[in-house]
Amino acid sequence: MEEKLKLISRGMQAGMVGIAVAGVVTGNLTWVPAALISLFFAEIPSLLRRDMHLVLPLEINLWIVLALFLHVASGFSGFYDHVPGWDHITHMMSASLIGALGFVVVVTIDKYVDSIYLPRPFLAFFVVTFTMAMGVMWEIMEYGNDALTGSHLQYSLADTMYDLLFDGFAGIVVAIVGAQYLTRVTPEHFVESLNVEGTKRRIGVLGKRRSARP
Amino acid sequence: MMAGEGISRTPLSQRSPEQIIEAELSWISSMVLFFSTVYAVLKLDILWIAFGIAAISLYILPIISMRDPFRALPWEMTILLSAPMLLHISEGSRALMQHVAWWNDFTSVAFAFSLATIGFLLTVELQMYTSVKMNRPFAVFFVIMFTVAVAGFWQVGEFVGDQISGTSHLGTNADVMKILVWSFAGGMIMGFVYDLYIRAMSESRRKTLGLIHLWEVTDWRRS
Repeated sequence: MEEKLKLISRGMQAGMVGIAVAGVVTGNLTWVPAALISLFFAEIPSLLRRDMHLVLPLEINLWIVLALFLHVASGFSGFYDHVPGWDHITHMMSASLIGALGFVVVVTIDKYVDSIYLPRPFLAFFVVTFTMAMGVMWEIMEYGNDALTGSHLQYSLADTMYDLLFDGFAGIVVAIVGAQYLTRVTPEHFVESLNVEGTKRRIGVLGKRRSARP
Repeated sequence: MMAGEGISRTPLSQRSPEQIIEAELSWISSMVLFFSTVYAVLKLDILWIAFGIAAISLYILPIISMRDPFRALPWEMTILLSAPMLLHISEGSRALMQHVAWWNDFTSVAFAFSLATIGFLLTVELQMYTSVKMNRPFAVFFVIMFTVAVAGFWQVGEFVGDQISGTSHLGTNADVMKILVWSFAGGMIMGFVYDLYIRAMSESRRKTLGLIHLWEVTDWRRS
């Protein structure tokens, strides 16, 4: 199972390399920067694992690569322009990804900070809030970009509102899945599986190394 | 203070005039909130009904649980809570919207401040009545996230309402984005303002209200 998921990730990364190469060869450069940046983002979980000893859940790794791949592939293939509503689907995928990462961070905070205790219902509520707030900030960023540079990131009111609607929907789905997950795996086990202890030690080592320098 | 034992009510004659005036101001503003909500119910204005019920619940909960009308929220918070609702139902405000260029922004800010106030009250009352525990930085972060998120859901709700009833209350994309920008700015401001507000509040007032100090009880002295 694990091997299979890794293989799928690798396949999608290869696809993005292919898109970058094809873009350069055919002179269609619009999506080449996005492909290259996405390839870098897709490597971040591996870098975190290698350098910080932080182990993100395999499902989240796959979700990261899938969201990036779909974005690049649908841009390059013209899906965004030709399939109505497709951009809302990819938007929802990235929103759920942000929600999932928020979930991971908040569960870790809950475990590690003594003055914070967040029971499961509140955790779910917070994930919905966080996902929606990030979605709104994304739209504000697009709006600001349009106003300052004259770009056209926001098409219409309906388009913006559907984005927000799907953000809210993604938040609710992640909250439900997360809450369900924590009924099977205790927060302690979950945080342990992330190897946060290892990361803490690693940060300690890096900090010492820095202060040891003359 | 636990319910049941030792609910010691100070007789009215022993309360200072300031305390009484402050409490009265709070009760009057809460009446505004109450009647605005009744008005929203009569007009079947669903989003504002939800807003009114949430605000009234947060207002009334400490009063009921401690059986003491002097546990009413600080009047300035109650005014912040009721202001956007009053602006929403007021015909005068609607007229001003057409004639004063910044009036729309003003109502958006009032709305953001009231959402932040609800978020703040949630951080406080969740700690009073549930096992939730937050520290100051997390509470500030929560207030900001809550304000922005509810503003987002609110716009989606308005949009869905527009679609169903064929109206167009929302206006243009820029109109909606301005409300969201103001909610972000207002949430940021109020998140930190409420942090300072707690630190600055005098101890006597903290005691009278018996409520606010629960936002990180243990080390408010150290600040």
